[in-house]
Amino acid sequence: MAEQLLHIVANRLRRFRTGLVRRARAFHDWFWHGNDSEGRGLKLLREWLSPQQLAQYDANKYFDVTGCESRKRYRICHGTSMNIHEIDGAGRPRTGWCFVPNSNLVAGDVMLAQKIALETDECGALAVAKQFESTDRLS
Amino acid sequence: MATQIVMDHNGDTRHNFDANDAKALLKAERRFMALTGAGFTAATRTADGDPVVTRTFDPTAEETLFFPRLVGG
Repeated sequence: MAEQLLHIVANRLRRFRTGLVRRARAFHDWFWHGNDSEGRGLKLLREWLSPQQLAQYDANKYFDVTGCESRKRYRICHGTSMNIHEIDGAGRPRTGWCFVPNSNLVAGDVMLAQKIALETDECGALAVAKQFESTDRLS
Repeated sequence: MATQIVMDHNGDTRHNFDANDAKALLKAERRFMALTGAGFTAATRTADGDPVVTRTFDPTAEETLFFPRLVGG
């Protein structure tokens, strides 16, 4: 009798655990692959990054761009705000710059708009940007 | 087939059109005017892949990307 009961409990536990694993996998897939907007934004970003920028982004989740007017270097980190850092020759952050598209966009789109703005109209982008204190975390 | 890519909350929306079709080209030009008039920036890429901002409709551009006006965050 007790052995039968244990068998039933063990079976139910196994089914419960299998269900949990299945739900966890589904959540993982939804979170990382199922969010179409995020995925589309990142795909578009990847299409427009230079090979060097793409390699840098894949390795570090940030990429560097050169301002078209000052030739200063900026590091665009993955994110949707306060994610641009002007960096010095040694890659140390100097000043943070924040400018974003005026509508709610996914991270890939935001970073791509920031890249194009700095590479084609640096002064225009910085004219609307807000400055913030950059940290040493990037170096 | 040419493409106009408009950034939006879905990631982007792509409008494909045949650049040899006068009607489709006119529609693409009107879309260009409407978007840039609404504050979007239009960008294309050079053969080297460098982005270039364009203020006028280029009927030969294979791909044009539009992103909304930038503001301080």
